[in-house]
Parts: sequence; C-alpha cells; structure tokens
Amino acid sequence: MIRYLVEGIKRARGLHSPGRNLAILPDDIFLVSYPKSGNTWARFLIANFLYPDQHPDWGNIDRLIPAPEVMSKRDFERIPRPRVIRTHDAFNPRYKQVIYIVRDPRDVALSQYHHHRKRKLIDDNYPFESFLPRFLAGETNVHGSWKQNVASWLAARNGDPKFLLLRYEDMLLDTPRELSRIGSFLGVEATAERLSTAIAHSSPKEMRRLEQVHADDCGLTKGTRQDLPFVRTAKSGNWRSDMPESSIMAIEAAWAPLMQFLGYELAFGDQTGPVESAFPVSAMGGPVR
Amino acid sequence: MIYGIKRTTKYLLGIDIAGRSLAVYPDDTFIVSYPRSGNTWTRFLVANLLYPRETVSFANIERLIPDAEAVSSRYLKRIQRPRIIKSHEYFDHRYPKVLYIVRDPRDVLVSYYHFSRKFRHIADDFPLEKYVHLIVTGTLEATNWGTWAENVGTWLAARSGRSTFLLLRYEDMLSDAHTELAKLADFFGVGASPEQLQRAIDNSSADRLRELEKKESSEWVATRNRRSDIPMIGSAVPGKWKSVLPASAVEEIESAWGSIMVQLGYELVTQKAANVQPPLAATAGFGKQHE
Repeated sequence: MIRYLVEGIKRARGLHSPGRNLAILPDDIFLVSYPKSGNTWARFLIANFLYPDQHPDWGNIDRLIPAPEVMSKRDFERIPRPRVIRTHDAFNPRYKQVIYIVRDPRDVALSQYHHHRKRKLIDDNYPFESFLPRFLAGETNVHGSWKQNVASWLAARNGDPKFLLLRYEDMLLDTPRELSRIGSFLGVEATAERLSTAIAHSSPKEMRRLEQVHADDCGLTKGTRQDLPFVRTAKSGNWRSDMPESSIMAIEAAWAPLMQFLGYELAFGDQTGPVESAFPVSAMGGPVR
Repeated sequence: MIYGIKRTTKYLLGIDIAGRSLAVYPDDTFIVSYPRSGNTWTRFLVANLLYPRETVSFANIERLIPDAEAVSSRYLKRIQRPRIIKSHEYFDHRYPKVLYIVRDPRDVLVSYYHFSRKFRHIADDFPLEKYVHLIVTGTLEATNWGTWAENVGTWLAARSGRSTFLLLRYEDMLSDAHTELAKLADFFGVGASPEQLQRAIDNSSADRLRELEKKESSEWVATRNRRSDIPMIGSAVPGKWKSVLPASAVEEIESAWGSIMVQLGYELVTQKAANVQPPLAATAGFGKQHE
C-alpha cells in the first residue's frame, strides 16, 4: 500500500520513469538494440560526436542520451531537442526514426553471461550450459529473446529510409565509416577530425578508465562488481574460442535463418533442423549486404 | 496538470485502462489481430467452445474474454486464471501464448472504413480512397496498433513456427469453420467432439451475433454510445473489396503490403504490385500452414 502511494506521488510529480509511455516528439531519434549488442558503445560514440563539449562519461551519459526506463518523465521534458533516446524495446510503431544495432547472437549470449556475473546475478562458476537455454528462451532479461527483438524491427522497418541498421561487427571493423553513416542519418556533418576525436574518446580503454571514476553515478554500473569492467573485450567472434560447441549448435539450430539473413556465418551449416525455422524474411527488404 | 492528477488517481485506484501496460501472467493466452479482422467472431467461438454452460453474448463477453483496451487494470488482475484476453497490439514479447487472426487487408480496410464512420471518427461522406491512403500510411488511427503490415509482420517474424503461436486466416475460418475451430480447440488444449464444435459455430454465427448486437449494443463497451445505424458485425463475406474499393486504392494497398499478402496467400491483382516478389521467399516458410 505504502509502496503504491509512493509510486502514485512520484507519478503526480513526474518523477517516475516513463518507460513505454514516453511522450514522443516528432524529431526524436531512437538508438535501439537488444541488450549487450554495442548499445552503450554507440551511445558514447554518438554523445562524443554530437556533444564533444560535454565530455561524455558514465556520470552524464544518462542525461545526454537518456533511456525511458531510467530518466524521469520530468527530466525527459527538459532536455534539448532533437533528443537521441536509447532503448532496448522490441518494435514500437511510435518510434519513427531508428538507429538499430544488431550483433552476432553467439557473442551476445557470451556478453550477457559475463554481464550477469558483473551484476552478481550468477556466480563465477555458474556453467554457461545452464545459462544458454534461458538466454534462448528470452528469460535472461526483460526484453524477451534476441530473435524476437531483432525480427520484430526488421519485419516492420528494414528498407525504410528512417531506419538505419548497423552491425556491431561492422562498427568494430570500420568505425569511422559506420559513425559517419550515423552522422548523415542524424544530419550532422562528419569531418575526419570530429570522427577521430569521438572515436578516441569512446575507445574501450577510455570507457574502462571512465567507469573507474564514475561507476556509482550510472544506473548501468552502480552496485555492480568493479573487478569486472562493463566494457569487457569489445571484440567480435569471442564465441569461437570461449563457447562450448554444443551451445554454438543450439544457438544456430534455433535462429539460423535470421543469422544468415544478417550475414552471420554458421559454424555448423544447416545440419541441425531449425527450431524456429519460420522466419518471414520476405516481409523485409533485401539482405543486409 | 489536471490530466496528470486524473491519471494518477485512476492509476492509484486501479481503474486505469489496462491497455499495453497490463500485467501479463505466464498462463495467459491472447487472441490478437489487427482491428476488423474477425477478432469478435473468434472471441465468441472460443467462449462458446470453452464455456459451453454460458450463454455467450455481448453482455458477458468482457467477463469471459476481456478486451485489454476496454477494461481496467484492476479488473484484469481479478478475473479467474488462466485468462484469455483479446488484444489488437502489435508484437509484445511478454504475451506467452498467442492466437493470431489475419484477414485480407483489402477487406480489412473496407470494414475499418464503416467502423470509423460508426465511431464518428470520420464523416459519412469521407472519401474511401482518401481513407485508404491515410490508413496505409499510418496517419489516421488515433490509437496506435501499427499499420496492418507492422502488426501482422512483427507477430509473424517473431513468433511463427512456435507451438505457442497459432495463425488462422479469417477467410479459412469462413470457408471451413469446422477445421479451423478444431485447430483452435487443440491450441487451447480442449478435446471437442464434432457436435461440440458445431454447437460453438452455431452459437457464434453472424446472424446470431447481429441479433445479439441489436438487443445488447447498449450493454457492450465497444458499441455503447456509438451510431446504431451502422452495425459492429459486418457482412462476414470475403472479397467485398472487389466491388467496393477503387482500383487506385487496391494498388496502394498492394504496393505497400504486397510481400506479406503474398506470403499469406492473398493474391495480388494490380500489375505494378504483382512485381513485388519476396526476395528470399524460399527461406521464409510460414506460408506452409496454408498449403
């Protein structure tokens, strides 16, 4: 009852987080991805690119590129426009301009496993084999499964000029090129100097250093283990060395069609019968590249 | 400010409309469709099948299979579990089990046009062609269900092929209600004899629903205070668009949504749209249910 009343007072004063009920403005731009897909890196890149004078760090990133689940409704109404808003939501038709970041689900699974260790949700000796079935079923976070999140966005928006699809792997491979694509999507000119400064200030090393300074000022890192950095390896393909073969097979068996559509090569081909074989790829534009 | 206080008070009392923010339980089943796609008929079929002792009508359908957009969050928390809930929402990853009804979007738009007149969202003489344009581009609806393609596409992309997702076409339900209702009974885990199926079908017939609507429209939240000269229950005939929709409107629908329509087995008729070939149809596979 008390909890209910507190929540009610918060609402009346606009101190609650708006979440899905966020009042959307026509010039809002959404930075969307499934969790552990490079969203935070992209946030730092964009913040350093758009607001270099603010010196983005873990203490102010929630204000520069806010999340509807974290920032209060009142603060949301006060930030300057156009707003770049970060979210992990599955498809939402009210989000009209979207930068969507996708990452190889094999790496996402590993990253989420280590993130759960950092957040003390699992012990260090918790076997990955026990984590994976829960990951596949979409039970390891509140946003559902990787496949459903990615597929819902692609089915509705792929090919739309207001939908920019980026692969985390391409961002690693050629960061200036991908960041300048973001720049032109945002309508901001990307000079070579502006790009390289933003990239340097968002390097894994720099982000790890900044986390040491501001860990307690950010919802993402507050109260988590400080012996494990939020920015872990910042590489692609860790699954090749770190993941049990049976787990690789299980992910590919479940999501092969969507992975192939996105250009993620399968290690085990099509030998295993796909569990969720039915993926209406034709509802979308062409293949990514 | 007043609006904020009103909302907060409603929230505290639990009398806010449940809508998209409803609390979902793991044993919930949702009957989902884009509006005007046979959802009401399906609700009656399911209710008559699962609750044979009830006389299902508009007066009690919100108790048997409530509409998340029509009832309060408190009401939804109090009804008996497992719940069956009606919804028009685009993909929501929290819905554990979903019966999805799809209908030829050309017929959907004709039906939606009359519905919008009934609800006084548009004037009686609002041009149909303009209406189609507004709906296809997603600029008319006050409540946001996504466009037809967004609604259908997100659900199919995320869920088809799973045992907890059943896709039925309204047209198949019309042409062979028995077969489709048997699939439905299976999905809800109830054994039903041919007689039981027939009884549910008879009790949910378009004629009977029309009769009930005449008697009970003032008791049902969806029809209360709406124009009574336009019925909620439409003609229930497939292909009406052929005689009603202007060619340009058909073309607009088909060029916007053609690829999903083809996958669902809805044949395209306009030349331009017929070239909308799904690029990777071979790997798609969800049309198989209709082969």
